[in-house]
Amino acid sequence: MSDTVADAAPADVDVVVVGAGPAGSCAATVLARAGHSVVLLERGPFAGSKNMYGGVVYPRILDQLHPQWWEHAPVQRWVVRRSTMLLTDTQALTVDFRTQSWAAPPYNGATAYRPDFDHWLAGLAEADGAQLVCATTAVGLLRDEAGRVVGVRTDRPDGDLRARVVIACDGVNSFLAKEAGLYTATDAANYTLGVKETLALPKEVIDERFGVRDREGVDIEILGGTGGVNGGGFVYTNLDTLGVGVVLKLPALAAQSARPEQIIAGLKEHPAIAPLVEGGEIKEYSAHLIPEAGRSMMPTLATDGMLVAGDAAAMCLAAGIWLEGVNFAMASGIAAGEAASEALRRGDVSTAGLAGYERRLHDSFVLRDHEKLRRAPALVLSDRVQHQYPQFVADVVERMFRVDNPAAKPGLNRIVREERKRSGLRWRDLLRDAIDGARTFG
Amino acid sequence: MIAVCWKWVALDDDVRWAGVSEADRAALEVALRLASAHDDVVLVVSLGPSEAEIGLRQALAAGAHEVLRIDASTELTSRAAAETLAIEIAASGPVRWVVCGDYSPDRGSGSVPAFLAAELGVAQALGLVQVDVAGPGITARRRLDGGRREELAIDAPAVISVEGSIASLRRAPLAREMAAKAAPVTVRPGPAGPLDDDALVAPFRPRPRVMPAPAGDDALARVRSLVQPTAAAGRSETVVADPPEAAQRIVAALRAWGYLADPGTISPAS
Repeated sequence: MSDTVADAAPADVDVVVVGAGPAGSCAATVLARAGHSVVLLERGPFAGSKNMYGGVVYPRILDQLHPQWWEHAPVQRWVVRRSTMLLTDTQALTVDFRTQSWAAPPYNGATAYRPDFDHWLAGLAEADGAQLVCATTAVGLLRDEAGRVVGVRTDRPDGDLRARVVIACDGVNSFLAKEAGLYTATDAANYTLGVKETLALPKEVIDERFGVRDREGVDIEILGGTGGVNGGGFVYTNLDTLGVGVVLKLPALAAQSARPEQIIAGLKEHPAIAPLVEGGEIKEYSAHLIPEAGRSMMPTLATDGMLVAGDAAAMCLAAGIWLEGVNFAMASGIAAGEAASEALRRGDVSTAGLAGYERRLHDSFVLRDHEKLRRAPALVLSDRVQHQYPQFVADVVERMFRVDNPAAKPGLNRIVREERKRSGLRWRDLLRDAIDGARTFG
Repeated sequence: MIAVCWKWVALDDDVRWAGVSEADRAALEVALRLASAHDDVVLVVSLGPSEAEIGLRQALAAGAHEVLRIDASTELTSRAAAETLAIEIAASGPVRWVVCGDYSPDRGSGSVPAFLAAELGVAQALGLVQVDVAGPGITARRRLDGGRREELAIDAPAVISVEGSIASLRRAPLAREMAAKAAPVTVRPGPAGPLDDDALVAPFRPRPRVMPAPAGDDALARVRSLVQPTAAAGRSETVVADPPEAAQRIVAALRAWGYLADPGTISPAS
């Protein structure tokens, strides 16, 4: 519940940024460089201690803030192989792409431990003048008598912190954004649960199994293999560990009463995955909600005295073949920092004064990509894409490559027709989804 | 003044995993309560590298009035650490209480508080599980073997060490937490050694001792004399004696059991 404070009390700082994840640290960096006093609140004992993810960081947006970032960023491996895998119970179809151009600066994507990466990024914000305050949770908003946000209340004694602007980067399920009324409604169907095991294996074993060397890494994204629960899976390489996990649509998970760790166990036992993870010792098990629905679930991004960025604003992009989050968080954090700085300079931190934030997001890849791919989450998590198409495609490919001598090879058209009929897929659904797919990804 | 000794321990090069023990944090909380009751001030002393100042700033945020870092290796022997701490604490003013945690995160010997009491020439009460203010002094409860407890009335000056379960360090107010980050920390130079010898850090084992030949007419009787529970009954006795005589009996028993070397012999660890 918000607390009203007297108008006359001066602000303790120009900006308080809540959450020292990628969005918060980038916002704090921008503001500190612009000469504003900024406090970066982190509920964990250090930045990154509460964070997890299941994939790849695409840090090119950091070119704007930290040129040559790759020389000191704490990454595990630079991804040079990107595989997309369709799994059925017994089949696997993989589209595998590799390029050595991603193995050299400025690189493309990297695997990283978030406690390392976020800690590093927050340290850069501190070096630029932001004050990082850890082990401190923002438990509510402070408002003035007109209802404008004028700070946050923390869980420390005498823990009110007044600020001219609050930037909420407090992650998925943002209590601050909800308290501010920026989310009109929340629907469990908009979220997935990401669960991950970190498995330790010797580096040379990982290199051999995944066909890489030195700091080269692999990212495998999986459709299927989730025990019938709508979602997907992933395997990616760190230096001497593997990240293996699944992303599960919440209502489907609840409907099946399935245990996430059992679903991961099933994925690890799949014939296409088992040889990759065999012998791995579990070092960590973690789980986290993911705002999966993209543009359709985004809150109002600004109100009087407050902006919301990163996962707190549902900036995560889960569009099937594109699964990105950290880069959207960093970009939205930069935009929030710039907009807040501009508003402070003009002396107008009202909703109108902070409107530059959304304008910047529209001008950048953040909202452009989300607008363009706004249909993708629903399409990717639909029942046909999740359950029928992987089986249909895998069966078609299996027959294509099966040699049934003395029978002659059937034509591809005949295989598709017969397998479509066997799968129960209707032509009109195929056509509708093909059009949807072309509109979404085209 | 009330002095609190904190041991900053970095188990590797990563400062994120470094810190002080819960017992040290409890020691500060006990000291803050004593200071509040006796209208006194708290000085937190840490012997270690510059990273130890992170901990000292946390102590300042929680309510410590002064902090001091002694620039020395955390690998100093317990005796050398205690000598150094005693000099700096005594130089900081008249000290009523010295409060320590009874263990550090690297699980050292826990002997610094005892050495410190000896160096300062004051009483000691170690391994306390409860501390209450009683007039100008304190009453305390100490854990003994077998689930027993010992109640003590302690007058200042004294060195006490406390278990981590005795108290939780209070949350620092937000303003103090933010201000402490930039607070200056007084640093004084410490000695370069002597340092703990890694080879000597091992579980204690009694020395080998000469055993009399087992008594018995046949092999079975000799084996029985070695392994029967009643054979060891003689090791337990209850005596009533004045302190000097009791101390002599204890020393003699420890020597007989192999925990103390015979006079005139050189132990492997010395």
